[in-house]
Amino acid sequence: MKAPPLKKIWQWFERTRVGRSIFRVGLPQSNLERAQAMVSSFLLHIQPAKVNRHSLRASYSFGLGLISLYLFLILIVTGVLLMFYYVPSTEQAYNNMKDLQFVVSVGLVMRNMHRWAAHLMVIFVLLHMCRVFYTGAYKRPREFNWVLGVGLFLLTLSLSFTGYLLPWDQLAFWAITVGTNIAAYAPYIGPKLKYLMLGGNVVGQEALIRFYALHVIVLPAVAGFMIAVHLWRVRKDGGLSRPDEPGDTIQQIELGKLPTNKTYGLMELARGMTPQVGRNPADEVFAWPHLVFRELLLFLLVVAMVLFLGIFWNAPLEQLANPVHPPNPAKAPWYFLGLQELVSYSAFWGGVVVPGVLVMALLVLPYMDRDRKGVGRWFPRERVVANTIFTVCLVIAIVLTTIGSLFRGPNWSWQEPWKRPPTVTEGR
Amino acid sequence: MTDGSVRKLYVWFTVLGLLVGSLVVLGYFRDENRDWKDYQHKFIQEEIRRASTAQQRALAERIPLQIRQILLPDLNRVDRCTTCHLAVDDPSYGGYPNPLAYHPLHEQHPFERFGCTVCHRGQGRATTSVDAHGNVPHWDEPMLPVRYIQASCGKCHEAADNPAAPELVRGQQVFENSGCRGCHKLSGIGGVIGPELDKVGAHRSPDWLTKHFLAPASVTPGSAMPPQKFAEQDLESITLFMLSQTGETAPGYYASMRVIPSVGQGQRLFQQKGCIGCHSVAGKGGTVGPALDDVGLRRSTEWMVQHFREPQAVSPGTVMPQFSFTEGEARALTDFLVHLREQNVASNLPSLMSPVERGREVYRKYGCAGCHGADGKGGVPNPNAKTAELVPDLIRVAEGYTNDELRDRILKGQREITALDPKRPLPPLYMPGWGGVIRDAEIDDLVAYLISLKPAGEEPGF
Repeated sequence: MKAPPLKKIWQWFERTRVGRSIFRVGLPQSNLERAQAMVSSFLLHIQPAKVNRHSLRASYSFGLGLISLYLFLILIVTGVLLMFYYVPSTEQAYNNMKDLQFVVSVGLVMRNMHRWAAHLMVIFVLLHMCRVFYTGAYKRPREFNWVLGVGLFLLTLSLSFTGYLLPWDQLAFWAITVGTNIAAYAPYIGPKLKYLMLGGNVVGQEALIRFYALHVIVLPAVAGFMIAVHLWRVRKDGGLSRPDEPGDTIQQIELGKLPTNKTYGLMELARGMTPQVGRNPADEVFAWPHLVFRELLLFLLVVAMVLFLGIFWNAPLEQLANPVHPPNPAKAPWYFLGLQELVSYSAFWGGVVVPGVLVMALLVLPYMDRDRKGVGRWFPRERVVANTIFTVCLVIAIVLTTIGSLFRGPNWSWQEPWKRPPTVTEGR
Repeated sequence: MTDGSVRKLYVWFTVLGLLVGSLVVLGYFRDENRDWKDYQHKFIQEEIRRASTAQQRALAERIPLQIRQILLPDLNRVDRCTTCHLAVDDPSYGGYPNPLAYHPLHEQHPFERFGCTVCHRGQGRATTSVDAHGNVPHWDEPMLPVRYIQASCGKCHEAADNPAAPELVRGQQVFENSGCRGCHKLSGIGGVIGPELDKVGAHRSPDWLTKHFLAPASVTPGSAMPPQKFAEQDLESITLFMLSQTGETAPGYYASMRVIPSVGQGQRLFQQKGCIGCHSVAGKGGTVGPALDDVGLRRSTEWMVQHFREPQAVSPGTVMPQFSFTEGEARALTDFLVHLREQNVASNLPSLMSPVERGREVYRKYGCAGCHGADGKGGVPNPNAKTAELVPDLIRVAEGYTNDELRDRILKGQREITALDPKRPLPPLYMPGWGGVIRDAEIDDLVAYLISLKPAGEEPGF
């Protein structure tokens, strides 16, 4: 087959002195080189040289974890660009938003992309969690990675919540006011926690600078680190879960049982499973190109999706924050509206017990539910009880969030969205 | 997997790559394509068309496409209006249609110091016409219709007697004469039945205000305010005056000319500083200094201004003390004295008025007419009030009250108005207590005025 011109140029570059110094292995031509390409590249080495066909199936994983990762990357890039224009001051922040919209080249598109990617990340992280649950993928040996995942879900919410305040408009101000008030319902520590978050009793300059520091440094750094560990664990726990996995043979080598009067190579100490051990080679394909190319394609798809949203839909921006003019009703960010709906019935149950129990349940889940039947398949019959409980919780959460978002009018009264009176806000 | 499946991936790479590429290009061009560039192109073409020499033409061709803005840090504004309105400061564009129209220069209000939105409102930071003109969701300051533009003068200047803003002055007169203060507080003076009006102009539109005056309940359900029967001109004037009440405080330099020198200000100063103690007007007043009725004939205005600033400088040995008047105050007093011989302004001096005349002013100042009608004739509806569902008139108070009783009644008010039908809601209007608001001297005059309202020729009743 004749190589296309671009490929020819690339191959010439690889042969030059500079090219060889950068790429130890060029575009792989043989299976050996395909394996080498994966092992020798920093970006690729976290993935195995060969992967199971089952893991490549889009209908199994839907790429939800990867999509979440890509959204995180898009958020970092657009976020850094926004930082060039943003001053975390109550005097300037809102004007910065207006300047992004009206004078900064593609400033509005960047802000839109950042906003929509943030919302999408909350959704996709949640969907990813649902996928892992419905396929039983949190079970041994992946228990701890599930726990990390729950942590990443909470981090995603915190990142979105802290970013919500930064435009310093009415939407931001009152959503954070309501959100931190929900946190204050926790017994004993609640009010202190709210004070700690806001740097005062009300949302103001101190809160803005705190949220900013958390949003641009602390939380992204922690999330980035945890994502790295999360991915590392995916690899070390044997890749994606699948039905024929010899799960119980995956175990740590027990160091105590090894003779101590000799030295060991890394291969002898590494965890039991390499792609070859205990598996049918016919099920395996080389990660280059089958996995890597698909990952790149998915990246393009996600970028296209976010670009499309960012170009055609503007992120909301209301009036300048005004502490004496609360909107009616004042609503938290949408992903907390289920909680706000619960809080409207009972502050203690909705604000403390329900979210507390839910998070605790998610954290201990893999250690309680230890039966390995049905792992690696969607909705297996063996897991009907667990799946039913999870689905009921999920549906309740979705229903509550929908009610809080769409069906609540002034004074949190019931209001069908299609019957909204013409002007809810005060007349002008 | 076969080579075929990899080749399918290449197809996808092509499709998605093209998709992302075209979205990037689309996003970029949508962003680059901005209204203001079209306007600037048109302006440059017009400049080229008007160029008469090659040099002018070359200059016009070099006008850069760029956002233009007036930075106003003290006002916390950035006005980018001149990005599209490029010829506001070029008189040769007089008569051109917008956006290239010329804006007559304000000698006192240069563009580079005041920008545009401080008077015209709108969204100065915006660079599209819709957003900039401000009739968009989530922007509370849309452009002020030009017929209300003098409302903006009131942000920095006193409305009273402002000779540069006659519409605003007229608006305030309608406000004071209509008795609005009977229920509403403005700058701390007024009743407590309706809301304070100090910031009303910042969050109400002209349309809302107009509707509210004519039929309050139509825009504020349940409002107790009686519908106002303003003539068209008065309606526009009082709307303008309300729009001027934004509660904004002009900072630093912008606050330096709060009061524009005027006859009215001169008259108030003349009253406050007690000039009448030494000087006489229309035969009334002190005799230490000369009578002032015809001083405008005897002295030039320059002499008088100088005399107010530094009496010894122009009149050595004079006993007149130095009052440390500002330049503006000296001008206002001079204007007043010049007017003194032209018009009968002296009769407006409170210290020269009779108690009944002064009382009429008090009745006006505190907006009693808002409920009790002009000259105390009543007629304002108060649903479900036992007094024929009207606020009672005042023309016969002399028959039912002694001076002291009347005084007491005004100071204490009456919070609960007896209802006609106890099942219906209580009457919305009531008499607020004016103690602590109306000053002691004023209350005596007011009582004198109210007693005087008794129709002439009627026998005292019981």
